[in-house]
Amino acid sequence: MTIIKLKTKSEKLKVRVTTIRMASNFYFSLLVFSFSLLCNAQKNDSTFYLNDVVVTGTRTPKLLKDTPIQTRLITSADIEKVDATNAEDLLQQEMPGVEFSYAMNQLKHMNLCGFGGQGILFLVDGERLAGETMDDVDFTRLNMANVERIEIVKGAASALYGSNAGGGVINIITKEGTEPWTLNLNGRLARHNERRYGASYGVNGTHLKNMLNVNHTSIDNFDVDNAPNPATQVVATVYGDRTWNIKDRLTFIPNDRLRIIGRAGYFYREQTRTADTPERYRDFSAGLRGLWNITSNDNLELSYSFDQYDKSDYHKITHMDVRDYRNVQNIFKGLFNHYWQTGNILTVGADFMHDYLMNKNLGSRTESQNTFDAFAQYDWLINTQWEMVGAVRYDYFSDCKDSQFTPKLSVRYQPISNLNLRFGYGMGFRAPALKEKYYNFDAAGIWIIRGNPDLKAELSHNFNASADYTNGHYNFTIAAYYNDVQNKLATGVPHYLPGDDKQLYLDYTNLAGYSVYGGDATVQARWDNGFSARLSYAYTNERLPKDKSGNTINNQYIPARHHSLTARIDWDKQFTKNYGLRLSLNGRFLSDVKNVEFIDYYDISKGTSTIHYPAYTYWKFSAVQHIGKAFKVTTALDNLFNYKPKYHYYNSPLTDGINLMVGLSADIDKLF
Amino acid sequence: MRSKLLTLVTFALLLSSLSACHGILDELYDKPSDEVTLKEGQLYVDASSWTDWYYIDLADAKKGFVREEIPQEGDQQSMNPPSSKAEGLYTYWYDVFGEGLSKHEFRCFTPTEKQPEPESWHIAVHRNNVRTNGGAVYETSYTSINDLPESSEAFADATFTEDEWNELDVWTVQAQMLQGLIGNQGIKINPVLSSWLKVSLPPVPPVFTLNNHVFIVRFEDDTYAALQLENYQNTAGVKCHLIINYKYPY
Repeated sequence: MTIIKLKTKSEKLKVRVTTIRMASNFYFSLLVFSFSLLCNAQKNDSTFYLNDVVVTGTRTPKLLKDTPIQTRLITSADIEKVDATNAEDLLQQEMPGVEFSYAMNQLKHMNLCGFGGQGILFLVDGERLAGETMDDVDFTRLNMANVERIEIVKGAASALYGSNAGGGVINIITKEGTEPWTLNLNGRLARHNERRYGASYGVNGTHLKNMLNVNHTSIDNFDVDNAPNPATQVVATVYGDRTWNIKDRLTFIPNDRLRIIGRAGYFYREQTRTADTPERYRDFSAGLRGLWNITSNDNLELSYSFDQYDKSDYHKITHMDVRDYRNVQNIFKGLFNHYWQTGNILTVGADFMHDYLMNKNLGSRTESQNTFDAFAQYDWLINTQWEMVGAVRYDYFSDCKDSQFTPKLSVRYQPISNLNLRFGYGMGFRAPALKEKYYNFDAAGIWIIRGNPDLKAELSHNFNASADYTNGHYNFTIAAYYNDVQNKLATGVPHYLPGDDKQLYLDYTNLAGYSVYGGDATVQARWDNGFSARLSYAYTNERLPKDKSGNTINNQYIPARHHSLTARIDWDKQFTKNYGLRLSLNGRFLSDVKNVEFIDYYDISKGTSTIHYPAYTYWKFSAVQHIGKAFKVTTALDNLFNYKPKYHYYNSPLTDGINLMVGLSADIDKLF
Repeated sequence: MRSKLLTLVTFALLLSSLSACHGILDELYDKPSDEVTLKEGQLYVDASSWTDWYYIDLADAKKGFVREEIPQEGDQQSMNPPSSKAEGLYTYWYDVFGEGLSKHEFRCFTPTEKQPEPESWHIAVHRNNVRTNGGAVYETSYTSINDLPESSEAFADATFTEDEWNELDVWTVQAQMLQGLIGNQGIKINPVLSSWLKVSLPPVPPVFTLNNHVFIVRFEDDTYAALQLENYQNTAGVKCHLIINYKYPY
């Protein structure tokens, strides 16, 4: 590496060409490449991670500053500052426009800029997750231990990722060891008997690498107080849980052109809503991936992924563990990249997925379907200022023999070296899930939820524009988007069947068109005195859909808040060789929100009322002491200002006040 | 050596999953079964219906139970509570999402016919509610019938509680539960024996809590029974499938 001094156009092109050649080594090159770049790059770029490599926007490695798709990068350093346990902890604190709320039974639901549930695609190292509850993945599976970085691409990305990527993609990328061996042990204690323990062990040889992670968390159930006469449903008992998350990844490198990665994982969660019948959630995952650098300009990736998510109830009295849900995904993938010397990249790929669903709510007990897709993307580096990326994709779903064609076009313009302007259009879609087609069950005696085999795919058209500018100690980002959503998949208006005015039914349906639009702005700064800061604001306008007859529907989830803001300020100082201190204060503010809800679910002729959900702000202070090379002591005050909601509505933070958290992390390998 | 072992384990797992279109490790789970295996001194009642009482004659418990529907039809709905404890359907609003069942308000009353009963019975169950046929109940601290004193005379000085009028707990109409509105049968139930299965709201759906103490029931004819709720769910997780341990006469 002899670069990077981004002063002339020819030098810039040289950087890109070098970058692209490096990219042919794909994942292996990522760490080495970004590390080398960080060592050499200009201060501005390293300060704001602009020379870090991201892959999610184009499925090819790109420097963050050069990617034609606006990408929000959350690094392992950010995760450490927030002291996050899982994706929920991290995302709601790092990104405005992200909110985790609850549905019945305290099941979690995420809203990202007006999209939620199956409208946001979560990936771990590029792989989908099986299983859902109330449309969302199990967020507790997304443990933040051993995460290298998280890449968030907002807006429709179905042309590259297929169904469920209408609102964006969140790709969690795990660490790969670089030292000969590493061993980290860590733990954290907090109120409500909250415990978090983790261990990671890595070995890194010439031909073999292995990384083993074991993590355990637990927190007790606890009660929260609510004032009399809540306007709508509240939470009285916050359900804790107990999780185990074990992952192993083995990498075999027979030569410098071939790399084979095998992985296996086990996840377990237990939650007790009813004392005699704790609910259990298990996931078994495995995968095999081969990366072959055919030539210096061509690489091929083939992979197989298995993910099985089970739910069961453990009957303590009879000692029986009875499974009532299983989703199994078997996915085969192929991805080919060709790099031209000019910097242009052709990406073609195809996937096959077998999706299997077993649930007691399915009349026939099991359903399955095969999905096939093929896609192509051309990344055209027109000149040193302009770059254009176009992608098309075709998906076929064996159930009902449905298909979908999805295009995407993105443009990046760099008028000056530290300013990027990006524009894009993308189509998003979400194929009806098997549950939405075939479920038929009594929802707690309220109504019968019925699947609809005639559902069409939900479509969205996403238009976006963004700009980012870096100058000295400061970086500015601003973005705006507009989504036109058609045929949204959801439950419709509750109704009675002719001749039966006692039993309500709630059917899955395609809703009328609606729109989601908004924008965000971020300013971040890093000064030489050890201080750094970030302030982000997001505006979201989610116009709630109606059914195709113009009726207000029963919204399962509270809509996005119009205004949200996250803030963080850090101070970092190394006092001596063996002692350093970092203080972090981070918080979020969410504006109030109104939701139109039925006055009487059983008599919709009574109309609707507007429920007001209050604004709130929530802060956390943490102090991280680095002692010697190996030890790190973290002391945090979560909910710093002791915020206690008057009513714990389904979109309130479920807290009963300030929470002291104390953690210790030891890098055992650094003791030797 | 260690690396080779890890290689073998990882690839073995991968290979095992390749043929697993419908999943792996089924053996982790138990198969739900409709069959209920009872031991001596146990009886089973599917009391999950909201609209039925199940009457049990402990002298002939192996014969099973008698189902009697809760009368629900009535012509004159009143928005005012009756002046006396009249049989019928009492609709109450409960603060199911707030303070819970202890906060409630009367909404309407519909008089119905009297609850039908068989000729001979000792106890009747409706979901988590229990009635006695003129009996009274004492809750012991024992958790096994086998550990009880040899004779019921040991409880001669205990305070037994008779059935009491109730129009809040025998939930019969759940159609508007999400609105906090529940229709209840107005009828006498035994509050002590009914405590063997407690139902709490919130949250929604309700939480069930089993009390595994042994209860002593004294009947009008001065015979005694020992009763204990062993389980309240079937293997599919449906609530109010009751397995009751009993000893009669005790």
